[in-house]
Amino acid sequence: MGEEEVKQEEKEIKEKPKEKFKLSFDYFNESRLGIFALIIGIIVAIFPGLPAFIKGIGMMIVLLWGADSVRKTARYGLGTGVPSIGVLAMGFGIVGGITGIAVASLSFGTLVVGGVEIAFGVLAGVALLALLGFVSGNLANGDKFINMKIPGLERGMTELGIAGTLAVLIETSIISGTYAITNVLPNAINNGVIAVIFIISAFAMLQPLNTCLGADERRGRTLLMSIEIGGIASIILGLVTTLTLSAVQGVPLIVLGAVVWVVFYRAYMKACLEEAYAVKGTGLIKTLGG
Amino acid sequence: MEPIVMLFAWMLIIAFLAFIACMFEDLESDIGSQSNPNSQIQLAPEMGYIHRYFNKAISGEGLSYALSCTISGTIAMLILLQLESVGPTAALLAIPVGAAVGSLVHMVRSSVCHVGREAAHKRFEQPIYLDVLYGHLLPIATHNFLAVICITAIAYIQSNLGILSGVAGASNPFPLPLLCLIWGLTVGAIGSSTGDIHYGTERAFQDKPFGEGRRVVYHGQICRYGACGTRTSKDVAAFCAKYGGPATGLAFGLIVLFENWRTVIGMTLGGVAGPGWNPSLAAAWGIGIGIVIAVVLVILARTIEKWARNKYGPFVGE
Repeated sequence: MGEEEVKQEEKEIKEKPKEKFKLSFDYFNESRLGIFALIIGIIVAIFPGLPAFIKGIGMMIVLLWGADSVRKTARYGLGTGVPSIGVLAMGFGIVGGITGIAVASLSFGTLVVGGVEIAFGVLAGVALLALLGFVSGNLANGDKFINMKIPGLERGMTELGIAGTLAVLIETSIISGTYAITNVLPNAINNGVIAVIFIISAFAMLQPLNTCLGADERRGRTLLMSIEIGGIASIILGLVTTLTLSAVQGVPLIVLGAVVWVVFYRAYMKACLEEAYAVKGTGLIKTLGG
Repeated sequence: MEPIVMLFAWMLIIAFLAFIACMFEDLESDIGSQSNPNSQIQLAPEMGYIHRYFNKAISGEGLSYALSCTISGTIAMLILLQLESVGPTAALLAIPVGAAVGSLVHMVRSSVCHVGREAAHKRFEQPIYLDVLYGHLLPIATHNFLAVICITAIAYIQSNLGILSGVAGASNPFPLPLLCLIWGLTVGAIGSSTGDIHYGTERAFQDKPFGEGRRVVYHGQICRYGACGTRTSKDVAAFCAKYGGPATGLAFGLIVLFENWRTVIGMTLGGVAGPGWNPSLAAAWGIGIGIVIAVVLVILARTIEKWARNKYGPFVGE
């Protein structure tokens, strides 16, 4: 008996550090993450003069929030609809982003205080899409209209609208360095970079839940992947920025993306392999009789 | 050579590339299970059927191909901009490098899918087989590379068609990455709608009665014991390369061929940018020929369906 107890104690000691290692987002629950990402996203979005490196971090936080909103909206058994929600968010985002950039490039849209550009105009796009998302969520969920009865759809759609818009705004400002439409059009839209902005941000939002979907899905694990895709997005945007702006802006972004990708890809794979029922090198499937 | 002949030649090349692209797209989506078949692979452990399929739930095929093709197009565009002084030969470097990066991203995305979905099946006692995980990544990347390189080449040809064929104004006004996005979505959509049916009947459900939809009681009962359960999803590529892949490629290739064919004939009848150039006449001829092609296809499809019903018996439940 004594030996067994000692063994059990040893087991407990061995198991404890494993649990500590688990990367989780327990402090940043859904509301806290939303508020945090909204504040960071707006600060990064209205200062287009920030270095691309910092904008890259802001972009990852906003994409993380978007992924969390997709999870919030789609986890009640939407199944095959998960990718559509992510694409919807970026559809919102493109509309809101273009609106915000258009307002910011008007004379009253951007203030210059002591040489620092503050583009308040982009908030018009954010506000418009928050409203549009709320209205469409209500239309889909309201008793008088489609009546889908998905819990939290109104909030989810509002957050998706804001997160999508902020993602497009930040990524556009990474590439063109300013919101002046004369700069944005040749650098981000006419050369088609808007397509890669659209698809990779959509993936950062839709793929985490779509890929981790299942009975034992865990929020901490799901969100790790969103940051990992944010790393890939940073690498690609860094390559584009090196050409459109300068290597001084682009190379740190590429390095940031590479480091983030390696760290979070490892963390995600480790978390999945540890939490799976079993990890086998190879083997036959167990037959129906046992 | 006459510009219109060159234009038609380039369009035939586009149709051929579309055939190859969609064939490899379908085979790639069959290695592992994407879009429609994935729902059954996902259901199987929940119904108690532990399996050794690769669960590749990146997203629908359309979106995942849009991702790899758009990244490929963006990288190719960046290289083309850097090597502008070299001229059109820069495409020989830009397109393969772009496609390599695109398929690398696709491979990374599919590697996270399998572990993510199987880890979420913990309570159904579905283990993660490491040989399934590692063994599938290379076939996925290589098949994806062939599909993406063809799509990027199509987008490149389209956006430079005016220079390549000598017909002024034939170039597509859209930039390369945007064309890649549109073509990627299209190739994924066709591969999903046409190819998945072949995948399902040829591999996942080999005992399917003629014409029957999958009944709810049979959900998740996928074929798991092919060659004593040692076979994995990558063998499906060899399985579906016989009929499903080429049929899917043919579907997409024919769509592109007919679409381009009617446009070129319409342009010829409208006087191809010469002194008698009449755009509205060209458009009218193009639309007219398109309607004729559609009617012929509908009649053909109906004839084949009738023949199949007569030969293989009535649908179950009729």
